[in-house]
Amino acid sequence: MARSGSRILALVTEAFGGHGGIAQYNRDFLSALASCDRVEHVIVLPRFSARPVSAVPTGVRQLRPVESKLAYSLSALWTAITHRPIDFVFCGHLLMVPLAAGISRVLNVPLWLQVHGIEVFWREHSALERRSVESATMVTSVSRHTRRRLLQWVGIDPARVKVLPNTVDPHYHPGPKPAYLLERHAAGGKKVLLTVSRLGVERYKGHDRVIRTLPRLLDQHPDTIYLIAGGGDDRPRLESLAVEYGVAKNVQFTGSVPPEELPDYFRLADVFVMPSAMEGFGIVFLEAMATGIRVIAGSQDGSRDALGDGALGTLVDPENGEELASAILAALDDPVRTGDRATRFKPNLFAEDLNALYKLFSAKKGRSCAALASPQRREMTV
Amino acid sequence: MCGIAGIYAYHYAANPVDRAELRRIRDHMAARGPDGLGEWYSQDERVAFGHRRLTIIDLSERGAQPMVSADGKLVLTFNGEIYNYRQLRASLEAKGRRFRTQTDTEVLLHLYAEKGEAMVHDLRGMFAFGLWDAEKRALLLARDPYGIKPLYYADDGWTVRFASQVKALLAAGKVSRDPEPAGLVGFCLFGSVPEPFTTYQEIRALPAGSTLWVDRVGTHETKQYFSIADTYCRTEAASSPTNDEGQQLGAREGLLDSVRHHLVADVPVGAFLSSGIDSGALVGLMRDAGQREIQTVTVAFEEFRGRREDEAPIAAEIAARYGTRHTTRIVTEQEFRNDLPKILEAMDQPTIDGLNTWFVSKAARELGLKVAISGLGGDELFGGYPSFRDVPLCVRALAVPGRIPGLGDLIQLLLTSVFSQSLNPKAAGLLKYGGSYAGAYFLRRGLFMPWELKAVIGADTARLGLRRLNPIRHIEALLKPKPRSSFCRVAALESSLYMRNQLLRDTDWASMAHSLEVRVPLVDSKLLSQFASITAGNGSQSKHLLANSPRVPLPPKVVERPKTGFTTPIQSWLQRDNRIQEWRRVPSLAAYKCAWARRWAFQVSAATAGA
Repeated sequence: MARSGSRILALVTEAFGGHGGIAQYNRDFLSALASCDRVEHVIVLPRFSARPVSAVPTGVRQLRPVESKLAYSLSALWTAITHRPIDFVFCGHLLMVPLAAGISRVLNVPLWLQVHGIEVFWREHSALERRSVESATMVTSVSRHTRRRLLQWVGIDPARVKVLPNTVDPHYHPGPKPAYLLERHAAGGKKVLLTVSRLGVERYKGHDRVIRTLPRLLDQHPDTIYLIAGGGDDRPRLESLAVEYGVAKNVQFTGSVPPEELPDYFRLADVFVMPSAMEGFGIVFLEAMATGIRVIAGSQDGSRDALGDGALGTLVDPENGEELASAILAALDDPVRTGDRATRFKPNLFAEDLNALYKLFSAKKGRSCAALASPQRREMTV
Repeated sequence: MCGIAGIYAYHYAANPVDRAELRRIRDHMAARGPDGLGEWYSQDERVAFGHRRLTIIDLSERGAQPMVSADGKLVLTFNGEIYNYRQLRASLEAKGRRFRTQTDTEVLLHLYAEKGEAMVHDLRGMFAFGLWDAEKRALLLARDPYGIKPLYYADDGWTVRFASQVKALLAAGKVSRDPEPAGLVGFCLFGSVPEPFTTYQEIRALPAGSTLWVDRVGTHETKQYFSIADTYCRTEAASSPTNDEGQQLGAREGLLDSVRHHLVADVPVGAFLSSGIDSGALVGLMRDAGQREIQTVTVAFEEFRGRREDEAPIAAEIAARYGTRHTTRIVTEQEFRNDLPKILEAMDQPTIDGLNTWFVSKAARELGLKVAISGLGGDELFGGYPSFRDVPLCVRALAVPGRIPGLGDLIQLLLTSVFSQSLNPKAAGLLKYGGSYAGAYFLRRGLFMPWELKAVIGADTARLGLRRLNPIRHIEALLKPKPRSSFCRVAALESSLYMRNQLLRDTDWASMAHSLEVRVPLVDSKLLSQFASITAGNGSQSKHLLANSPRVPLPPKVVERPKTGFTTPIQSWLQRDNRIQEWRRVPSLAAYKCAWARRWAFQVSAATAGA
């Protein structure tokens, strides 16, 4: 039977119905992929799904999540075999790459790997993981930083590692401070600093760095609130840190914010600050910039990309408290709101680029299949 | 002959080109092109080209670069010389193409418009260029067959930058300085950094004889359009003139043709002269090609005066025979000491060589020369190195025992653990490597052996770099397809490794630092196709073909003189220099018998790593 285009098996941690940056990225990626020329459909097998899946775009079929690792591997293999022919495997997370590479080998089809951030630069990587990445026909990375860090430990032709940044939802656009949030946080007439992120135990996002600058900021701008949006296990530590620095009454924790309220939280804020040290990209920066508020980010990681190397916001060395404090002060002194500053990351541009990458990938497919079939490179040891 | 630079912000999210950045990259190469500078920016500010010019052909302003085609669709920034540009131009004009200048640069623009990237096959010469095709919205980078002219690029995932020098790319601060272990390991193994690696992860050399496209999805994979091994294979299949006389006639014709092409210039062309056959014969052929005034220059050392190593007397004799204006330039230890910091600064990538080229280029420039002919490449083309004899011998002796699985590794481990200090490290690797051409060549040219690297650059860097470089495979890849004769195999290896990564690269930085263009008539793809079949038959006896080519023969003592390795007193000057004693900290280097080149390599990598 003639097929209208490629059939793709996508192995992802979470996508439709998931929370957080990676789930968002996967949704954007898979939706855009399904609408590429010559793509028939994408079969998505997620590990997790926090919420019931309401709607998926045409061309995407998301299977039921399988949480246990072993069951997931078996399920992935089973899906691959029962849904043949599969033209290529998309792997949405580095942790899954050995599985994805194995399946792409079994099916003798090429592999497309997506990498994000912390999973690339934080852990020791096994030889299996490295070789699996090296077997990929194409790797897309959310940022230049993640790409650079990946290339430090993976021996792959850099020409095969491309950057495809996050994109931003049109719900994020400039607007007045919403009354219901001004009321909820008693923020009327006050300046609002905002950080939005999971409060993870990894502690790299930099909330603590902001809290440490607060005493200095409050000297100049006593009516400032620091809103920490997002839930997670690190909250108790941050709460006691705020107490320790005597700023507890100026720091408010919102807990998890429902997605539909999130754009309003950005509009409530005057300054979005997240001096993170290990950001793969930081989609929240795009959301903040799209609402036109001032943005401060760390200069040592993928945040650079989100802020266009400083063209769209202020970059500071996250380890330098002085630099951070003066950047926030400057922003509070002049909390000017602009129009949408995230225009260069709009979904149509993302989709166009993905389409171009898909074309390149398709052109390479033939050759890489042959390469996959050949035995692994013999390696030299010291 | 110039310095080229460019930036292409190809990614949709990338910032537009930063003009100040382009200028910093370009002007870091001021010495490559002191006579002029230029820049070009696309209307949307996504593409920028820069150029530093050393005027040699069409000295007028019309020859300035970057050059835009008459229809505005193509832009070129080009470093090098196209020696057959007049023929190319004539055939393009015959097709109705109209020219505005007398330059080879403009020929490239028209040739691309006519043939697209396939144009590279028509070019005879040395070149590296970046060409912007506005209709395709794509950048083409290309480099000559042998890699005489350098070209480096850095793709960070958003923006690609290219330049003639690694250090220029780093000058503007936007290219990552993350080290590339494969480049560092390669330098320690070979004495020069093997392309495509550099010592920086983000910066790659465009391999010799390759092209590269960059478009909206960034850099594509590099495409090789010329391979030395492949040329040898094809000419082996073809027949060659059998009698001596026919060979000699063919050789003279080919050599004279190459020399004639290499004299194309609107400024005087001089020559480096040593006591050897290669440079001497070239000077003779320059005369035969009709050049009347020839400035020749030889470097000599006070320490060698009256000794066998002194090249000056024989060089002077050759000069007298061909009636050149000859200069013997004495280099002293004091001058060397003064120049050393400048040398390390100009050294674009770590290398254990290039010092001599530095001084002879300096001398040539002092004499007012902008262009000099060099005999580089003669030993590769005519089998002048001992490796042409040693490598095949080694392979024949060890091919059978070398095939016993694990035996080589075992013996290497045993020998290195038992005789860790006293044994020559290469002896331990004899069985492990000696049985194949790639392995035997590695033994012949290797500076350090892989198991020694730990002590020199640290275990992690060594492990990572060895895995990525995979040295034996790296060498084997240059023998694909594999020529049949042992001569052609060694010639292909010498030309694709030692000559490319060491001799040619060193010649480039050391001469360009003095704004001098060095031309190498013996490094020429057309000449190679002509000679491959002849030399393959004659083996290492081929040098006489070169020696007998000038109409006025070389003095007999030049031809009969046994080949001595080129020696200078620089080694002992370095030994005495108290600024470079860091090698003493590494026990294996401080060992009494350690070869000086290894200490110098360590010193150089330390100096460049800090830069």
